[in-house]
Amino acid sequence: MVSARIAHAARVVVSIAASAVLVASAGCDRAGHPPGTIQVDFEISPLSTDPRIGTDAASSRLNELIFDSLMKIDRNGEFVGDLAERVERPTPTEIIFHLRREVRFSDGRELTARDVKYTYESIENPELRSPKRASLKELKAIEAPDDFTVVMTTANPYAPALEMATEGIVPDGTPPPLKSASAGPPGSGPFMMLSFTRDETAKLERNPLHKFEPNSPAAILIKIVPDATVRALELAEGVCDFSGNNLEADVLPWLRAHPFLKISATPGTTYKYLSFNFRDARLRDVRVRRAIAYAIDRATIVKSMLRDSARVATGLLAPENWAYDGDVTAYPYDPERSRQLLDEAGYPAGADGMRRLQIDFKTTPEGARLAEVFQAMLQRVGIALNVRTVEFATYYGEIQSGNFEMTSLQWIGINDPNQYYMVFNSTQTPPGMNREYYSNPALDRLVEAGMRTIDVDERKKIYAQVQRLAADDLPYVSLWWSDNVAVMNRRLANFEPYPNGSLRSLATLTLQGPGGAEPSR
Amino acid sequence: MIKYLMRRLVSIVPVALGVATLTFAIIHLVPGDPVVAMLGDSAAPADIEGMRHQLGLDRPLLTQYATYLGGLAIGDLGESTSYRKPVAQIVSERFPATIELAAAGMFVALLIAFPLGIVAGSNPGGAADMGAMGFAILGISIPHIYLGPLLMILFSLDLRWLPLTGRGGFAHLVLPAMTLGTALAAIIARMLRHSLIVVRASDYMRTAIGKGLSPRAAIVRHGLKNAMTSVITIIGLQMGSLLSGTLITEMIFSWPGLGRLLIGAIGARDYPLVEGCVLTFAMTYVVVNLATDVVYALVDPRVRIS
Amino acid sequence: MIARVRNPSLTIGVTIVATMILAALLGPLLFRTDPLAIDLAGSLTGPSLAHPFGCDSLGRDMLARVLWGARLSLSISTVVVALSLVVGSVIGGAAALAGGRIDNLVMRAVDIVLAFPGILLAIALAAILGPGLIDLVIALTAMGWTGYARIVRGEVLTLREREYVVAATTLGASPSRLLTRHLLPAVAGPLAVQATFGIGGIIGAEAALSFLGLGAMPPTPSWGNMLDAGRAFLLVAPHLTTAPGLAIGLSILGFNLLGDGIAQRVGSRA
Repeated sequence: MVSARIAHAARVVVSIAASAVLVASAGCDRAGHPPGTIQVDFEISPLSTDPRIGTDAASSRLNELIFDSLMKIDRNGEFVGDLAERVERPTPTEIIFHLRREVRFSDGRELTARDVKYTYESIENPELRSPKRASLKELKAIEAPDDFTVVMTTANPYAPALEMATEGIVPDGTPPPLKSASAGPPGSGPFMMLSFTRDETAKLERNPLHKFEPNSPAAILIKIVPDATVRALELAEGVCDFSGNNLEADVLPWLRAHPFLKISATPGTTYKYLSFNFRDARLRDVRVRRAIAYAIDRATIVKSMLRDSARVATGLLAPENWAYDGDVTAYPYDPERSRQLLDEAGYPAGADGMRRLQIDFKTTPEGARLAEVFQAMLQRVGIALNVRTVEFATYYGEIQSGNFEMTSLQWIGINDPNQYYMVFNSTQTPPGMNREYYSNPALDRLVEAGMRTIDVDERKKIYAQVQRLAADDLPYVSLWWSDNVAVMNRRLANFEPYPNGSLRSLATLTLQGPGGAEPSR
Repeated sequence: MIKYLMRRLVSIVPVALGVATLTFAIIHLVPGDPVVAMLGDSAAPADIEGMRHQLGLDRPLLTQYATYLGGLAIGDLGESTSYRKPVAQIVSERFPATIELAAAGMFVALLIAFPLGIVAGSNPGGAADMGAMGFAILGISIPHIYLGPLLMILFSLDLRWLPLTGRGGFAHLVLPAMTLGTALAAIIARMLRHSLIVVRASDYMRTAIGKGLSPRAAIVRHGLKNAMTSVITIIGLQMGSLLSGTLITEMIFSWPGLGRLLIGAIGARDYPLVEGCVLTFAMTYVVVNLATDVVYALVDPRVRIS
Repeated sequence: MIARVRNPSLTIGVTIVATMILAALLGPLLFRTDPLAIDLAGSLTGPSLAHPFGCDSLGRDMLARVLWGARLSLSISTVVVALSLVVGSVIGGAAALAGGRIDNLVMRAVDIVLAFPGILLAIALAAILGPGLIDLVIALTAMGWTGYARIVRGEVLTLREREYVVAATTLGASPSRLLTRHLLPAVAGPLAVQATFGIGGIIGAEAALSFLGLGAMPPTPSWGNMLDAGRAFLLVAPHLTTAPGLAIGLSILGFNLLGDGIAQRVGSRA
């Protein structure tokens, strides 16, 4: 813009004045935070401070710091005990959790099996209107035979049952959020909520009844900063200490140039894909989908546009997943092959190279840039992609109601391979997640078997077949798995990234020095 | 005057009704679903139906409309589906932040516009006029969405004078107010300049100067008062864009106001909250315009109050 | 000749606007780089000989896009401003002349449109209308006519009360004479201000609407959507916003001077 230049020129002019001001303010924490406090910027406000309600990513990230659950997922994607010190599965439909003793909520109450039972039963109570109720569909009963034993029973053998054990536990008798304070119920996790103002801040402080590493943060200030450029500025100014998965890849080199910032980029599980409406006869033809897969140059997109902050994907499960099998049909960029397939499918190229194949592509405003790349790449093989951007809620509504031809979406936090059942099984059409209305009896049988088989080796074999079948039949065209990219102040040491993007490590990292921007600028 | 005021106050009612109806129609007719936003996309169909019933969304649209108006008549704005709290409570928590921002933006606009407009208008075609109008063009060419980050880079990142984001004391207000007020300043300055030029050419100004007043004193003493009417009109007119401007300014500066609330509510298809926010924005606009009309009548006695 | 020198605003304004229009018409024919050709490896590169304005985030040539974008942005904004001005003036003038209940009704409708947050109106229009350019013009006009209506109505009402108009009317001046001698000079200035600033607003609104699925869809370049696409790269590639920003600023300047000149011209006839 006009005055971008002016601003840069002005920098030089005012640098003398600036240094005078800097001398005046040197030594004082730029952000004005008390010592031991770190500021973490979120893009979107958490919806709820009650872990029984908040399913959005921001609420989950926040609530993980405040609430414990029976089990948690570690950095290798494996279930490990959190409140549970021991787990038994005596029968395929029964799980027994033995709880740790001496765990206390931040208000001093001891956490017992009664609280666990209450938490689950209140989620299942329709009056709470919890979006998590659906994820407990398979749970038949939850019992507390004594204060430190919880027994979950499912109606049928349910392989991903442990996923149900990751709900944050609130104290027995916690009312629905409407009637409770905005700071939310107390938890037994490392932090407790001091105050929460939606769209503004969440202030967390150490739970005094929880063990701590030396020099770990005493308080966390979560600030909601909707604008990506402003989040980058907050990091550059030393106001913000940590920003995770919410910055443009192109801005990273600019941030890297600031000596007091460091970037952590690690493989992630977020899976980006192209989605097709199977009620559209043209897209139901596997040759068309394969042609599209060959026409998209994913390697170049990952390299040039995502600046290597993603890996080209072969399926829903990332290589870190225990059930991953990469021995599947790959679709390297091959426009010639793509054109052949389109010829075979009955869409010959016209004189200008274009075919009688026009596909509508709906996306959100944020997705427009990527859509334009797909559009240009598909045009090379003669497919006209009509990109239409719509406001997010409208977009989501249209995808939900099947009013789309082709789009691109992502799944965040895939852990259990049962995700294949949820997105591809023919019974899971909307309001379920099979928004494509995909139906393949062979795949149906496999994913149902995978869901009901408890034995891990047996399951692994089943999902190897599932991954092969999905890569051949292409209900989705896999694009990439996005990395977890966190930018932080160098004073944060020992941050440990999780593949699913969890920020639990904020409780255990250590603080070095005063931090903030270097005064020598 | 009192009678005029009463009549104008009564005229707010049809505007409120119109805005409420339009909002209701729009938000219910565009695609998107508040229940899916609440329960997530893996909810069982029975749960979704149950929630629809609980919220009254399964009733005919006209019945829902009647219920909504009925509530409105007794001052009940309903309960937000995404916050799960009364709309009136949420809106009243956010409203002061937006008013603070809008008032500060208007203040900055007037602060910049008056000197600029007077300088430009008292000697049209001169160097000062060129400079002032050049600034006005620049001000109007830069959308809020760039001006905000540019001011941040200059005054916060480089000069370290002001904080980047958030709502707090006076220092927090400066950059958002400048962001919001600059475009408005350009428009007001431009209008003021134009009016002053017109007034300068008029007979009574010539008379005033003929009586021995210096041109500049004549402008300030007589011209400004006459030019005020069109400036007040433009302020009233621009009130809508000032309020829309708060939406973007609040996003950039993480300002916890009504604009962000509205954007969030639209995204969650939170029908009662969207309606509450829009109605609040609209009423603010109407009341400010009523106030400008009254001021207008006071400043320009030629306007017959009827 | 002498009249022109006396009215430098008009001369400069016409020159700028004419140059912009010429650039829009001839530019793409002279500078023949494809504005849609993607080159991911060259994304965000700065100005060079091959790409005088640099490349955007997909490696497309910015100069070609600015030239092509001029066609859409200039034509849409002038058409919409002209249409809004005519529609608004007719409605506002008619309301003022009719007076009474009709005036009241029209002004309440204007209040409702002006008081309504633009974003919601835009979402609604996007849902009703399609991605065509005519739909875009309809939507922008529907949102833009109200300001002109209020200005014209206000001026007509003020004018009716002024002594010289009352005198002229009693002396039997024809309505057309009243219109050209008194009303036109009075409204020309405020309308010019509103219209010239409207041009800039419409270029921005066009981009906002295209996000919501209304108007120009990707990959069609327009100044508004180029400006917006550059926003994310403000820190690393400011040239993405400089080029369309300058184009918008220059056209606002041109139209502004043009409006000024016209207002001066019309005003001097009084």
